[in-house]
Amino acid sequence: MTGESTRLSVEARGISKAFGGVAALDAVDFEVRWSEVHALVGENGAGKTTLCNILAGIYRADAGQVIVDGTERDFRSPAHAIDAGIGMVHQHFRLVEPMTVSENIHLGWPETPGVVSQRALNERTEQFMGEMGLHVDPTAKIWQLSVGEQQRVEILRVLARGARVLILDEPTAVLTAKEAEDLFAVVRELAASGLSVIFITHKLREVLAVSDRLTVLRHGIREITRPTEGATASEIARLMTGEERVLNVEHRVVTGDPALELRGVSALNDRGITALHDVDLTVRSGEILGIAGVSGNGQTELAEVICALRGLESGSITVDGADVGSMSVRAVTDMGVGHIPEDRIGMGMVLSAPVKDNAVLHNYWTEQFSQGLNLNRQGVIDFAKRLVEAARVQTRSVFATAGQLSGGNQQRLVARREALVADQLLVAAHPTRGLDVNAAQEVRSTILDKRDSGCAVLLISDDLDEVLLMSDRIAVIYEGRIMGVFDAADADREPIGLLMGGHSSTEAA
Amino acid sequence: MTPLASIASAVLSVTPWRLERRLEVDARRAALTRIGGAVGAMIVVGILLLLTGRNAFWIFWQALDAVFGRQRGIEGVALRAIPILMTALGVALSLRMKVWNIGSDGQFLMGALAAVGVGIHLDGPGWLVLILMAVAATLAGAAWILVPALARAYWDVNEIITTLLLNFVALQLVTWSALGFWRDKAAAVIQSTREVPFTLPGIPGANSVTIALLVPLVIAAILWWVFRSTTIGYEIDTIGGNPRAAGFAGIAVRRRILVVMLFTGAIAGLGGMLQLSAPGAQAMNAGFSAQFGLSGFIVAALAGAAFWGVIGGGLFIASMFYAGIVLQTKGLSVYIIFAIYGVILTGIALGEIAARYRVVRREAADESEATAGEEAAAPQGAGS
Repeated sequence: MTGESTRLSVEARGISKAFGGVAALDAVDFEVRWSEVHALVGENGAGKTTLCNILAGIYRADAGQVIVDGTERDFRSPAHAIDAGIGMVHQHFRLVEPMTVSENIHLGWPETPGVVSQRALNERTEQFMGEMGLHVDPTAKIWQLSVGEQQRVEILRVLARGARVLILDEPTAVLTAKEAEDLFAVVRELAASGLSVIFITHKLREVLAVSDRLTVLRHGIREITRPTEGATASEIARLMTGEERVLNVEHRVVTGDPALELRGVSALNDRGITALHDVDLTVRSGEILGIAGVSGNGQTELAEVICALRGLESGSITVDGADVGSMSVRAVTDMGVGHIPEDRIGMGMVLSAPVKDNAVLHNYWTEQFSQGLNLNRQGVIDFAKRLVEAARVQTRSVFATAGQLSGGNQQRLVARREALVADQLLVAAHPTRGLDVNAAQEVRSTILDKRDSGCAVLLISDDLDEVLLMSDRIAVIYEGRIMGVFDAADADREPIGLLMGGHSSTEAA
Repeated sequence: MTPLASIASAVLSVTPWRLERRLEVDARRAALTRIGGAVGAMIVVGILLLLTGRNAFWIFWQALDAVFGRQRGIEGVALRAIPILMTALGVALSLRMKVWNIGSDGQFLMGALAAVGVGIHLDGPGWLVLILMAVAATLAGAAWILVPALARAYWDVNEIITTLLLNFVALQLVTWSALGFWRDKAAAVIQSTREVPFTLPGIPGANSVTIALLVPLVIAAILWWVFRSTTIGYEIDTIGGNPRAAGFAGIAVRRRILVVMLFTGAIAGLGGMLQLSAPGAQAMNAGFSAQFGLSGFIVAALAGAAFWGVIGGGLFIASMFYAGIVLQTKGLSVYIIFAIYGVILTGIALGEIAARYRVVRREAADESEATAGEEAAAPQGAGS
């Protein structure tokens, strides 16, 4: 079968594409074989999605050829690409939420019978799922499904249209760890049945876990294509970033005064269900306490209750010895509590407002900017300029709206702003989520600098690698309860992983 | 996207062009594009008039002459502008917070009604009664929006419906007052309330315009300053931009919404008193408000809630209405005049879109010279 498996399914030759005069791809060659999972790796902006959008007929290349199974193609629309057997599953799903799985799979599919009963539709769907070895309840409405199941419907939809080359754009970005594992199995299965899968990601563990070969893009140029076997994470990271930039974090044991203390804290989520049960936590000045856990286990509520954005049901919270449980948001902020919120865009910024106004969102009322009613406009502008420079935010000016910034720049801005607010405590919720390696390193350096300057840091992240890397101590949260606290020195991935999944430490031992 | 911008972009979707949002909206361009829109619309109107065999030049000359050619015209415009400006300023303030106060007509009427109540029942020196009338009108305007404001601020009840419906209640109350409890029994023909015996002092040299004209100018200046230089303005803009971010910043969002909505009602209510205190308008009848609130709303929306833009736009629309009335007396059909209003307002609205968007060719858009912002935006669409 070697002959079969080295035959090319898709070949891109010398693909170039520019946006607004900026080259996104520069003469990129890219070859994918049948029966392989091919990881396409690179930082944000490296050109991964652009390349795949060209393969899938969404963009047209400025130069270069696309050859599918030996035939040169010129795709003018995604429909042309799917006719040639190339289908893409996007990061943001394109499903009709109130309709069933069967209906979504059959929607706009030329083979859907003109008149068909719901039952026949479901039977066709069942049969098709059987052929593909992928299962979702065909009668379920999309909105009833978990994100992982919705993604499976998307994959089925693309496969139903005869795709033999499947492109998955950052498919694990929205998945839980368990769902990601399931996806890997599906992807391996599809490749084993003869399909090509192009797997776009910037997570190195995934590359190593799922792919047969890998291609690294950097700044729109192909760095390497090689078999995954024998590749190491640090080698791929070096190729992605162009330099060896491994953050060297020294874990400490801190014995100073507690900057933040939670005693028996309980709180409700937005639906009125108890999301935090009797939480006890201590963070000392000059240490990072990492909260490890799968998203949705009370982390959001934990951050909000500390910053007074959410009411306390019972228990007490003290910052620097002062009870903040009944304080206003502003009073807590004035204690020197910074907060990088989980939902940067939804909560941490005003996208329609200029960068300068966003720069002072969390401290505009302080003496630095406000005298009585008066807001010191020049002071705000100067501060924003310094902040933008220090955080290396790329923007034309501080008067441009925050909505014009790219996601990474928005995040850098918020992280640096909150670091300046935080004298006592920085609550950082998923501070590097969605960032590429370089931007993530910068945000992490910002947080480590805060720690080194004596600030306490509560780091919430669903990326266990990050928690292990950054934290001095690690607390594991599961269903709103703290399952255990470890010193970083003797923290082990496996027991923590088990606790994150709800297995108690005795079971784990 | 505003509804009109959505329509414009839908129309463009069948052409090789498309709308692209500008990175920054600068105030000078915003003003120029609106003026350009109005001028362009008038050229269109002129061509249409010529094509239908009318003497467009004569009509435009008559309109200009009616408005600017004589003192009566200028004063007529000023008298019409005052109520429009007051309601428009109230609406513009609410729009800064993304609250849609459609009820400024009702608040205007209730303000006037309260002023009449004070004016016809209190004896005393004229200046004192006028001040009390202004206070009563301000409070009444605020009171008329109190329930919608509470409902919006604390129970998230959509204010568009509640404020709109209260307009009709206010109109009925005014009618009742004119026909019933405050009816002027001496005047047999026209059903109206009794007349307030006081008027505001006139502007020196004017026949009918009083110092009421200064009030919207002062309010616009105050609002402009508040939004330019104070933390309150910053907070209101933040609430309008993203209420969750405002909560994150510790702003008492609900209380702010309540207070700002009360202010918008108060400004419209005061407008009612100003209208009532002009010579010859000192009594109320069912036709007291010629839908000034609606005109005010149009002005505020077209001005993009910029306060000096409201002043300019309000004066323009008042001139347009005044010219329209004069042209009717010169024999131009009322339907043609309404059609002209419509074309001109559409022109200004297109100018408003032009301030925030530009038209680019679809293919060429990718090659157009890049600005830093677009570079930052490109990888978002292209790479991540």
